[in-house]
Amino acid sequence: MENKAIKVENLTFRYPDAESDTLKNISFELDYGEVLGIIGPNGAGKTTLAMALKGLIPHTVDGEIQGKIIVDGKDVLKHDISEQVLNSGLVFQDPEGQLSQMSVEEEVAFGLGNIGVPRAEMVKRIEKALQTVGLAGFEKRSPLALSGGQQQRLAIASVMAMEPSIMMMDEPTTMLDPVGKNEVFKVLKSLKEKGMTGVIIEHEIERLTMYCDKILVLHEGESILFGTPKEIFSDLMLLKKFKLRGPQVTEVAYEVFNDKEQIPVVLDEAVQSFSKELKA
Amino acid sequence: MNSMYVQGNSFLHQLDPRTKILFVFSIILFVFLFYDPMFQFLVTVSLLPIVFLSGLTTPYLKTVKFMFLLVFLIITVHGLYNPMGDVTKVTWQLTENLSFKHDALIYGAVMSFRILSIGTATLLFVMSTHPSDLANALVKWKVPHAVAFMILSTFQLIPIIGREAKVIMEAQQARCLDVKANMIQRVKHLIPLFAPLFITSFMRVHQMSQVLECRGFSSTGPKTSLREMTIGFRDYAFLTAIALFALAAITLRAVVGGTLLPITDFVLMSALIGIWIVCSIYFFDFLWKSVRKKVV
Ligand SMILES: Nc1ncnc2c1ncn2[C@@H]1O[C@H](COP(=O)(O)OP(=O)(O)OP(=O)(O)O)[C@@H](O)[C@H]1O
Ligand SMILES: [Mg+2]
Repeated sequence: MENKAIKVENLTFRYPDAESDTLKNISFELDYGEVLGIIGPNGAGKTTLAMALKGLIPHTVDGEIQGKIIVDGKDVLKHDISEQVLNSGLVFQDPEGQLSQMSVEEEVAFGLGNIGVPRAEMVKRIEKALQTVGLAGFEKRSPLALSGGQQQRLAIASVMAMEPSIMMMDEPTTMLDPVGKNEVFKVLKSLKEKGMTGVIIEHEIERLTMYCDKILVLHEGESILFGTPKEIFSDLMLLKKFKLRGPQVTEVAYEVFNDKEQIPVVLDEAVQSFSKELKA
Repeated sequence: MNSMYVQGNSFLHQLDPRTKILFVFSIILFVFLFYDPMFQFLVTVSLLPIVFLSGLTTPYLKTVKFMFLLVFLIITVHGLYNPMGDVTKVTWQLTENLSFKHDALIYGAVMSFRILSIGTATLLFVMSTHPSDLANALVKWKVPHAVAFMILSTFQLIPIIGREAKVIMEAQQARCLDVKANMIQRVKHLIPLFAPLFITSFMRVHQMSQVLECRGFSSTGPKTSLREMTIGFRDYAFLTAIALFALAAITLRAVVGGTLLPITDFVLMSALIGIWIVCSIYFFDFLWKSVRKKVV
């Protein structure tokens, strides 16, 4: 068997009573150790795709589904969600709506308890997870008494502690204020450095380019672009056609440089390109 | 904190929730075995040292006042108007046709102290038991995991829904809904408040069910828990004491009957006046505090 973290083939999905397909013939692959960023305008089907990758579609949401989804070697359509908790974990958009326990440590422990992790191991994993998201010292707090950013980091810790092979996040920062966003992005960056395999839906393109290896652009349920950030964002004209924009540095560079190869997508690259250009 | 739990490290806090549930049941058994206000009073009073030793005095006094309001009504109204037993046996003649009857007062006093003793025992349980421990205890008693979670999540859901209700109320007020109008208007206005509240709560529960799925809630196989729960020496000692008391009480009931000592008018009057006094203390305390708030 080939070793792909995620393999999607001709995925098509339609909600019950919907007039058209919400996901249209989507195919892509992701390797272990890679992070996939999914972007697209509102209503493009990003959340729907994440739910399909996690198996919430079709196991908890009805609808017509066709195609094939293999996540961490498991056929998502054939296995119940409870059999996939070790393969993939999903962080939702709404921070507060994901929390159900009376204290921070119990929140993290909840998923572990459900899959029968022994207590000694549980304690270790809780400590590690809270450390990673910067919530050490908050163990006894009520999750409701945390800020949005802290709540979202707690949700990430709760999923992470279960040690799924692949982490998925649906707009984890959209409902947060700038401070909360920064906190969560810092955590994402450190997860990436630790070699996480993940799928992140995100509107902030500048941030995405910093830790994504692949980008998938969705538009009205179709996967219109798939590739590395460099490949995707250097084709600004195509993005504009679908009412999307590139990273700010790319937009600027696009006006300055003639040579396409020279166009940066992240800030560091941009600094280099521009200083080279200025010296020349 | 959104439950009534008060953090602590007392003997009572360290008992297993199951032991404490049995304790509450045994108190209920005691007070229903006998029909004797003095006995019920003794049970209530004997619980007070436990309240004190568990460090729950302040929250207990705060909560118990609502019970006293109820008890005040029960003993007064029953004593005056309950037509049970011998209505010619009068304990206290107030006016020509208003009097506290002996048998009715016994009933009122017994009910009052039953409520106080069961209420106190229940408060002891609720205030010394972390909701998560309660849920765990239920699971140990073979209550389905899902039911235990439902009980636990009400603690979480109620404050969230309360907060949401406030947001919706403010939003509707911003759209000129007069929520401070007269009573009938206000009742009418409940619809634009409750409809969105109901929908958001429903959506929240729906999303929560998906979150739970993702966290392996319906995984088959053994579950574990972070909170350790072992029935230890403490619990056995406590349970033995309860069992001894129960045995003694049952024997007493069998030998002596439901009433231990003859119930005199003096006893009844003390119960009535005693409850009145406690209630008026609470009342004046309340008055004093509201006046002070106005002044400050
Ligand atoms: N439960 C549902 N039943 C029917 N249609 C739905 C359902 N959920 C979403 N849709 C529709 O599917 C389409 C894609 O929705 P989806 O939530 O996946 O978009 P999205 O890309 O996540 O958007 P956003 O950026 O707003 O989160 C939308 O047109 C939406 O109206
Ligand atoms: Mg979405």
